[in-house]
Amino acid sequence: MTCSLPVVVTGLGCLSGAGMNLDENLKNLFSGCRYPGAPIRFSTDHPVVYPVLELRDEFKLPLDEEQLIYARTGQLALAAALEALTAAGYDEASLRGKRVGVCIGTTVGCALNCDDFYRDYKAGKNPGMSIIERYLRSNPAAVIARQLKLNGPVQTVVNACASGTDAIGLGATWLRAGACDLVISGGADELSRVTYAGFSSLMITDTSPCKPFDVNRKGLNLGEGAGIVILERGDRVDKLRMRGRVLGYGSACDAHHLTAPRPDGAGLKAALAEALRMADISAGQIAFINAHGTGTPENDRIEGRVLHEVLPGVPFLSTKGYTGHTLGAAGAIEAVYTLACLERGEVPANIGFAELDPEIPVAPVTANTSFSGHVGLSQSLAFGGNNAVLILAAGGS
Amino acid sequence: MRLAIQGIGITGSFGAGIDALRTALQSRTVAPQQLSVDHHDGVSDSFPAYRATTTGLERFLPKRELRRIDHFSKMTLYAAHLALEDAELLEADRSRTGVVVASGYGPLKTTFNFLDSYLDFGYSCSSPTHFSNSVHNAAAAHVSMQLKLTSPSLTVTQFEMSVASALLSARQWLEEGRVDRVLFGATDEYCEVLRYCRRHFFADGEQGPLRPLDLDAQTAMVGEGAVFMVLERADNRAAYAAIDSVILGNHAVVPLELPPAAVVVAGADGHRQCGRWYAEIIGDQPVVACSPYYGSFPAAAGFDLAAAALMMRDQQLYAGPQDAAANLHESAFLPADEDTKLAGLKCGPGGDYGLICLSR
Repeated sequence: MTCSLPVVVTGLGCLSGAGMNLDENLKNLFSGCRYPGAPIRFSTDHPVVYPVLELRDEFKLPLDEEQLIYARTGQLALAAALEALTAAGYDEASLRGKRVGVCIGTTVGCALNCDDFYRDYKAGKNPGMSIIERYLRSNPAAVIARQLKLNGPVQTVVNACASGTDAIGLGATWLRAGACDLVISGGADELSRVTYAGFSSLMITDTSPCKPFDVNRKGLNLGEGAGIVILERGDRVDKLRMRGRVLGYGSACDAHHLTAPRPDGAGLKAALAEALRMADISAGQIAFINAHGTGTPENDRIEGRVLHEVLPGVPFLSTKGYTGHTLGAAGAIEAVYTLACLERGEVPANIGFAELDPEIPVAPVTANTSFSGHVGLSQSLAFGGNNAVLILAAGGS
Repeated sequence: MRLAIQGIGITGSFGAGIDALRTALQSRTVAPQQLSVDHHDGVSDSFPAYRATTTGLERFLPKRELRRIDHFSKMTLYAAHLALEDAELLEADRSRTGVVVASGYGPLKTTFNFLDSYLDFGYSCSSPTHFSNSVHNAAAAHVSMQLKLTSPSLTVTQFEMSVASALLSARQWLEEGRVDRVLFGATDEYCEVLRYCRRHFFADGEQGPLRPLDLDAQTAMVGEGAVFMVLERADNRAAYAAIDSVILGNHAVVPLELPPAAVVVAGADGHRQCGRWYAEIIGDQPVVACSPYYGSFPAAAGFDLAAAALMMRDQQLYAGPQDAAANLHESAFLPADEDTKLAGLKCGPGGDYGLICLSR
């Protein structure tokens, strides 16, 4: 399968625990700074405090009082979308008359896990509907479409931690099919007490800053944020506006376990094969890989082995040491980083890695590393056995 | 590219299987149950609701496989198996079959069960089983695992637009040749918290009967269920119907014009907030609405699509139940023919719409 119509990226937006916009993210990534800490916006009675990577500043959106009832995930998505649109040279007025699609991945942003409401409900306190109304208004893709008064397909992808990667891949397919002129695509997720409790129950969270691919890794740190790309048809965009291209997208299911990756990595291999086939390139043309690299023992072992087998010798890194695991946003943030690294011609160090795991035959980059190619790969593995891969290229190359 | 609907599996309050839906449509009977809930605030609540069954699932999967699977995923699994059975594909090669699931709310009951685990016993007692089953894509994952489907899997949530939105991506998978077949489904479940919220939002409007084309009235009644369809590229004749196009947009931003000769299968389900958009968009075109047969829930848009596909197969326009008052031009119980076109229309409260056009 190859697709002739090129899909290009004309704008990037990103906020995470590593920075409030893309420039700040990159500055921290390339200077090796990360800011894990105890959760600030919620507390639990859990005896262990797991570090997280929260946004370090408040962010402001041009919203009136009624609109401010959007849940945090919707606001994160909107903030990153506005940054990306501005970078692409668009505002609300210039989108009028276009068929604009919105395709956003999330996990927390669509779950009715409002524990404050539910606690009151269980206690018979007859809680009102304000929290539920906020939930109903806050579907992240719908928030962007509503705020920008868009006309086009709107989709929130909930493929767990692969959602952001899938959303970008699907957004590109909409463009190729002629379903829209432009797609605002990516992922967003807020840090939540519910996921904090959930991941600690699975015993896959680290009590210290996470160490992707390291022999002493103990698990992930949760994070929050959003990553957005503006996708357009390559035949309608001036080369000077092109920040990158979506060459390939592959996805496949492990059909193995709800939370654990398939031991032989077959699903990830199938997704990689599909993405490479669609991009019509060989593994040797990949300059670097932004791996999923959560820092959990199982994910990193299986992912590392697959990378060694399918993409031998290609430099790789995980950026989750800087951002934490942002769940439905992760794949999108990492796709934005991949495109930004392609623009710079270098990748940051895989922070947290110090010692090779004998069970993983490859090691990530341990310092900021320059490369000469034009193609990068970003991949995600997720609950439900979902695997998704994006192959991205620099500018109009 | 057109899609062919080659099989349908469904479970709702009318029973399970496409024949059960046909029987309900032909007999014009509705089957909500009267439920009673004692809410935590001391209110005793009695109301009609459309509940779905999963008892026949054991025909396809052994009981032990289902022990840790919740009602949401069981409904999904049941409908998926029924669809494959209907398409005579239960024993077929499924190596290039993708899974797409649409859901408005996801697995509600398990989500609240997970909250129960830490609210009742403390955060260190949070249930990993409930957590891992509370993610929206858990149902799709169970379908992939039980049916050994290793092709792409996608779960979409967009409230009322979930089905049309997910269908758009399913079509693209087929168009780009990522898969040869898509097991396309929609699921939503009832739970007591949902009833509590609906009672607050709609008060007595939930007491029935559901009158979908009485667009100024709030008559929605809570429902649940799951539906799956086997979709293929329409290279050959479709067993049920062909999907000609899937369009999503916002009528408030750019007005939608329906295909002029089409009969509209409206997804109207008794929500007054959405009613004005149906009235504006449909105008004088003939319309049918089937929600009184299965109730009001986001995934019911998939039931509307199944009903429309069945109308095409049976060459018969099925009207709503006898007592459904209408302020639109409701189509009678008329024969359809090879040239009949149906336009499945779902509207959201903000003017957002999904339009799915079908032909034979």
